[in-house]
Amino acid sequence: MNLSIMWDAVPKLLAGVPVTLQLVGLALLFGFALAAGVAWMRLSASKLLSRIAAGYVFVFRGTPLLVQIFLIYYGLGQFQAVRASIFWDILREPYWCGVIALTLNTAAYTSEMIRGGVQSVPHGQIEAARACGFSRLMVFRRIVAPIAVRQALPAYGNEIILMVKASSLASTITLLEITGIARRIISQSFAVFEVFIVAGAIYLLINFLITRLIRYAEWRVTPHLRRPA
Amino acid sequence: MALSQPQPANQIPSPVPGAAVVVEDLHKRFGQLEVLKGVSLVAHEGDVISMIGSSGSGKSTFLRCINLLETPDEGRVWVNGELIRMKQGRHHAVPADAKQVDRIRSGLGMVFQGFNLWTHMTVLQNVIEAPVHVLGVPKAEAIDRAEALLQKVGLEAKASSYPSHLSGGQQQRVAIARALAMQPKVMLFDEPTSALDPELVGEVLRVMRQLADEGMTMIIVTHEMGFAREVSSEVIFLHQGRIEEQGPPDQVLANPRSDRCRQFLARNL
Repeated sequence: MNLSIMWDAVPKLLAGVPVTLQLVGLALLFGFALAAGVAWMRLSASKLLSRIAAGYVFVFRGTPLLVQIFLIYYGLGQFQAVRASIFWDILREPYWCGVIALTLNTAAYTSEMIRGGVQSVPHGQIEAARACGFSRLMVFRRIVAPIAVRQALPAYGNEIILMVKASSLASTITLLEITGIARRIISQSFAVFEVFIVAGAIYLLINFLITRLIRYAEWRVTPHLRRPA
Repeated sequence: MALSQPQPANQIPSPVPGAAVVVEDLHKRFGQLEVLKGVSLVAHEGDVISMIGSSGSGKSTFLRCINLLETPDEGRVWVNGELIRMKQGRHHAVPADAKQVDRIRSGLGMVFQGFNLWTHMTVLQNVIEAPVHVLGVPKAEAIDRAEALLQKVGLEAKASSYPSHLSGGQQQRVAIARALAMQPKVMLFDEPTSALDPELVGEVLRVMRQLADEGMTMIIVTHEMGFAREVSSEVIFLHQGRIEEQGPPDQVLANPRSDRCRQFLARNL
C-alpha cells in the first residue's frame, strides 16, 4: 500500500464531491416532486391512475439502476426522433442523463414511502379534523402531511444514503464524480486499492454527515415520542 | 326518496324553528345492512339528549350522521335551522356543498370514543389548531381562549405536553377543550368514556356535567346509565336502527314501557 499515492488522490477525489452532491441533490429534489405525484396517483380513487403509478414503481424498482442509466444515455440516442427533438440538448449530456436516471429511480422508491406514510395516519385523527370543519386540503396540510413525514423520515434517510452510493454508477457514462475520478486516476497509476480506499472513505464521510442530519431531523420533529422533560 | 328530489327539497325550512338540531327520518345502509331505519330527533337549545342501546343498535352511526362523518342515505338534517343540502351521487347520497358541510361541522363540537387528538401537536396546539386555521381567530386570542378552556377542564398545567404523555382521561378532557374552542352551539359525544379505565371515567363525566349545567346543547351516545339519568333532559333508546323508547330519563330509565328497553336496562344497570 502506497501512502503517498493515497495522499495525492485525496484532493483529486474531493474535487468530485460537488458533482456527486449535485447529482444526488438534483435527483432527490426532482425525485421527491415526481414521487409526490406518483404517490397521489397511486392513492387516487381512479383505478387507471393507480395502476399507471403501480406500473411505474414496478418497472423502476424492479430493474437495475445501471440498466436504466444505459438505456437513457446510450439507448435513447439511437432514435432519430429523439435526436431531432428539443430534448436532445439535455439527453446528449451524460450529466443530465445521470440526473434523469437517478430521479426516475429514487421517485419509484420515494413514492412508496410517501404512500406508506400517508396510509399510516390514523383515521381517527383525520376524522377529528373533518369534524372541526377542516377542508380536505387543510386536513392534508395540517394533519396528514406532518404525520406522514414523521413516519417516512427514517426510510427516506436510508434512501438518501442509497442515492449517494448509487450516484457512483454515473461514472459508467463518463461522469467525473468521485468514482469517475477514481477510475481515471487508476487507469493512469494502476493503484486500484489505494485510490478506491480513499474514494470509499469519502463516501463514508458524506454518509456519516447525512446520517447525523437525518437523526437530528427525526429528533426535531418527534418531541411527542420523547420522554417528557 | 327525499334526497333524490330536485332543488326545492334543498330549501325546506326546519319543521321545528329555533331548534338546535332537527333530524327527520334518517336512514343509513352499509351495503345490504340497514343500520338506521328512520330515526328522528329534535334538540332544542340547552337540551341534553342521551342515546342508549346495545352495540349495533345504530346510535353511534346516527350521531355521526348529524355532522356528516357518515352520509345518510335518506332523511334530512337541520343544524341551527339550516338544512344540510344533499344530492344523489352515483351510488348513494352525497353532500351537495362541501363548503356548507365544513361550515356546519365547525359549529358542532365532536368528542370521540378514541379521543383522536393530533399526536404531533402539544395540548395547546391541539386546542388552538381549528380556531386559528378554520375560523381565522388570531393566534394570541386563540391561545388566551385555549388556556381558559384548559383551566376549565383542569389541565392548564399540561398545555405544553403531548397527548402521548397524558392518561386517557386527560386526553379526553383535552378533546373536549378542543371541541369547545370552536365555540360550538351543539356538542356531540360518541361514547366519550367507553375507552377509559373505570377510575378515569369520573373526571370526564364531571367536565360533561359542568357543560350541561352551563346550558350547552348536548347529544350523547353513552353506556353510563347513571350519568344519563342525572344530566339528560331526554333519553332515547335505540334498537336495531329504530327508536324503541324515548322520553324523560325517569320514564325511559326507571319505568320503560317496552320490553326490549327493560331487558337492555336489566343487563346494563
